[in-house]
Amino acid sequence: MNGKHWQPLISIDQLEPNDATPVRLNNTLLAVFDTIDGYFVSDARCTHAGANLCDGYFDGKNIECPLHQGLFDARTGRALAAPVTRHLKMIECRVIDNQLQVFM
Amino acid sequence: MKTIVTPITQALEEGALTRRELKQFMQRSNGPAMVRLLLFLATTLTTGFLIHLAMDSVWLLPAMFIHGVVLVHHFSLQHECIHYTAFRTRWLNDVVGNYCGLVIMLPNRFFRYEHCDHHTFTQLTGKDPEMIPMPKSIGEYLYYLSSIPYWKAKFTELGRHCLGRLNTSEKKFTPASEYRSLIIEARLMAAFYGLILAASIAIDNFAVLWFWWIPVMLGEPVMRAIRMTEHVGRPEVYQMKVNTRSNRVNPIMQFLCWNMNYHAEHHYASSVPFHALPRLNKKLNGYVYTEPRGYIGAHVDILRRLFSTSARGQA
Repeated sequence: MNGKHWQPLISIDQLEPNDATPVRLNNTLLAVFDTIDGYFVSDARCTHAGANLCDGYFDGKNIECPLHQGLFDARTGRALAAPVTRHLKMIECRVIDNQLQVFM
Repeated sequence: MKTIVTPITQALEEGALTRRELKQFMQRSNGPAMVRLLLFLATTLTTGFLIHLAMDSVWLLPAMFIHGVVLVHHFSLQHECIHYTAFRTRWLNDVVGNYCGLVIMLPNRFFRYEHCDHHTFTQLTGKDPEMIPMPKSIGEYLYYLSSIPYWKAKFTELGRHCLGRLNTSEKKFTPASEYRSLIIEARLMAAFYGLILAASIAIDNFAVLWFWWIPVMLGEPVMRAIRMTEHVGRPEVYQMKVNTRSNRVNPIMQFLCWNMNYHAEHHYASSVPFHALPRLNKKLNGYVYTEPRGYIGAHVDILRRLFSTSARGQA
């Protein structure tokens, strides 16, 4: 199938509660954030040096890169603190029947 | 954007620790750093007072040296702050980090950017901006310990930034949008020192020399010796298991260096705060390289390698 479409990513039960969970979809590593405002999905790679953000410190709102401690808002992808300058690529998501789906 | 396998990702994949354990180790808090900061400042004031007591006596130089050793350990706290792991509240790290930077003439924001590349390219010749090269002779070893090359580099760096210039290596690890802020930071630091100097001349009181700068200069060789133990003599390769050295040290040094003797653990998981490093050390026991004889043992190792290389060179 060509173009973006909704596809299943992971069951909600398999997510790390109140934390970041790495999930691979095809060849893309995604980060699922269980935030205070619900679930959000982004590219798992830091926009600065490509580290896996799921290994970083997460406080329910912001995710910190495990390598250089750059900071992103996990809900919007906004780059908040040095050394990151580029925003995180966010992926639209929804929960259907206890299943997290992404639009990509 | 390329993907890199960071040391912590590698450790997780190899089962050295679980994601749940890592998350526990990474938990932040303001309390431990506040307590330690108060103790650290109290220690600084106490050793400063020793200089006052030792004035006009033969104990002046030893007192300044002891105070200097404490002062140069502002580096360890600043290092923790630029990783944002000292305090849970991020701006507290900026405030304390900048204070430490003023004490030891290390601009905080510049250090942060430089240190990022140190973590990306640890111990890789030509890429790691903080790499201390393995000395090729006892003369080079002693020259580095004298701190002369360190201060030469630091004064040159500050002067260059004050003049509005960054060199090629600095431009590599600093985002272009941040060049200006590093230049402003350097100028503010130079202006601060200039004001202190002017005030000292105006009131004809040079206490800053006796209680600050002479001790810092006397103490810096100790910090250089400690910094050498972190990577010098270890293989110059990407693998964190071997390129970094942790050291078992006595409680006084561990207090002063904010647990940064657990350097390999820190490089594996730089988001883990200083107060959790001893626990991470227990968890990664056997997974990282640890020098059981501490700083002295690390220097014995460096010298042994230096002499064996020299002997091979002469054979």
